[in-house]
Amino acid sequence: MIDVIIIGGGPAGLSAANTCARNGLQVLVLDEFMKPGGRLLGQLHEEPDGEWWNGIKEASVLAAKADNLGVDVKLGVSVHNLQTDKGNWVVFTNKGKFRSTNLLLATGAAETPLPLPGWTLPGVMSIGAAQVMTNVHRVKVGEKGVIVGMNILSFAIMRELRLAGIQVDRVLLPPRNELLTESSNPIKIVDDLSEAAHLAPGFIMKWGAKLMRVKALRKIGLSFYPSNGFKIWDVPIQLKQAVVEIMGDKKVEGVKVVKLNTKGDPIPCTERIVEADFVCIAGGLYPLVELAAISGCPFHYIPELGGHIPLHNERMETPVEGLYVAGNITGIESAKVAMAQGVVAGLSVSQKVTKRIRLEEMTKVIEHVHDVRAKSIIQFHPDIQKGRKKIEILWNHYHQEKKQTKIPSIENSV
Amino acid sequence: MRGNQTVVCRCEEVTLEELLKTIQTFKCSSRELKLRTRAGMGVCGGRTCRASLDHLISQKEGKNPTDSIPLKYQPPIRPITFKNLGDI
Repeated sequence: MIDVIIIGGGPAGLSAANTCARNGLQVLVLDEFMKPGGRLLGQLHEEPDGEWWNGIKEASVLAAKADNLGVDVKLGVSVHNLQTDKGNWVVFTNKGKFRSTNLLLATGAAETPLPLPGWTLPGVMSIGAAQVMTNVHRVKVGEKGVIVGMNILSFAIMRELRLAGIQVDRVLLPPRNELLTESSNPIKIVDDLSEAAHLAPGFIMKWGAKLMRVKALRKIGLSFYPSNGFKIWDVPIQLKQAVVEIMGDKKVEGVKVVKLNTKGDPIPCTERIVEADFVCIAGGLYPLVELAAISGCPFHYIPELGGHIPLHNERMETPVEGLYVAGNITGIESAKVAMAQGVVAGLSVSQKVTKRIRLEEMTKVIEHVHDVRAKSIIQFHPDIQKGRKKIEILWNHYHQEKKQTKIPSIENSV
Repeated sequence: MRGNQTVVCRCEEVTLEELLKTIQTFKCSSRELKLRTRAGMGVCGGRTCRASLDHLISQKEGKNPTDSIPLKYQPPIRPITFKNLGDI
């Protein structure tokens, strides 16, 4: 009998699986991709201390541990539905049904698109797709490309493309339209990026560090920002230019660019064409919650965590009996935080099954999540701590209200 | 290409113009917008355009998103064969 099914074999899922297996549980991990590791597989960046974070190495360490501990990792398996049957979870996949008493959702995140004219042309891809092609499949995405959208993820992957010897010509803003409001506002971008100055110290230094650190002065700082942009890792960051259209007949041939004023409005008669054979769209990430929604778990909208989040506590438990969550499904954060959360979730499941986990151990791993979060260099949202506090308060509130009532899980006939 | 001709739902090829026109005519929710235009009902299950549809509606309403998920997730959440669905 399987004690726990873990959906998602990324940093959170594998860490949880290994924790459960160490405590003697029978563990099944299901993942859609053909390699274990999830988004770790794409990651390669330099830490402030000069050490390199090599996601492929981290993934292989986690996968080897899982293998040694006897975790059953099934790859190329897509889950399409969940139901409960007499206190058991039934997980429906393209490779048949699986049953277990406990279920951990570690499905990670998906990319937010930035729809703009011409984005359906071949040669246009999400920034995450460019990362997977480059670092996982080792396929060169093109000769010369541009990135549309400015956020932590687009800068991190831009550097990975550069390391792979791929020419990134420039990074530009998306156009302002009904679909894209925040991601096309230069002031909003400066606000977000100022918090991430440590990722590209030279960039903010050149620009006048003091101006950028003081929120009220950022607008003035922006007025001094050159139209052609400052460079990070040899790539111009053009905060005052936007792509209005991706051009091409059968595939990408270039982008039409317009200059922007400080408010982000296009300046008339400044349109011109920049040649490119690939375009990466970087709209950020949102938690992939499909299965949590089907499970009947309550949700809360918490923008600091990336959108709609399944209600959970610090032990990674949800109000649904036998349902746990870990990793980016609980909020967009770095892989290191996901790994730490995975250990917590694994310990919570182990406690439910074995009743042998010491409280000190649980407290220690929860504190480890806090430590990793505090030290994390990749903060996707500057107010992540505030978001975490919100969900904690919401949990306590929910728990107090439901104290006397046992919360039923979904009961569908199978 | 005019901006309003931008394809928002790639699976069902629904343009921004069509979505804006539908919102204006029917003053609808994201669910109604989906049902009227088929945006979000293609093979990807709305994973690509869901955020854009929600954003359009919350912009028009001038309200922040609520705690409940605007567009309901329904199984199957991945494209599967009838053989799989029928559990044969």
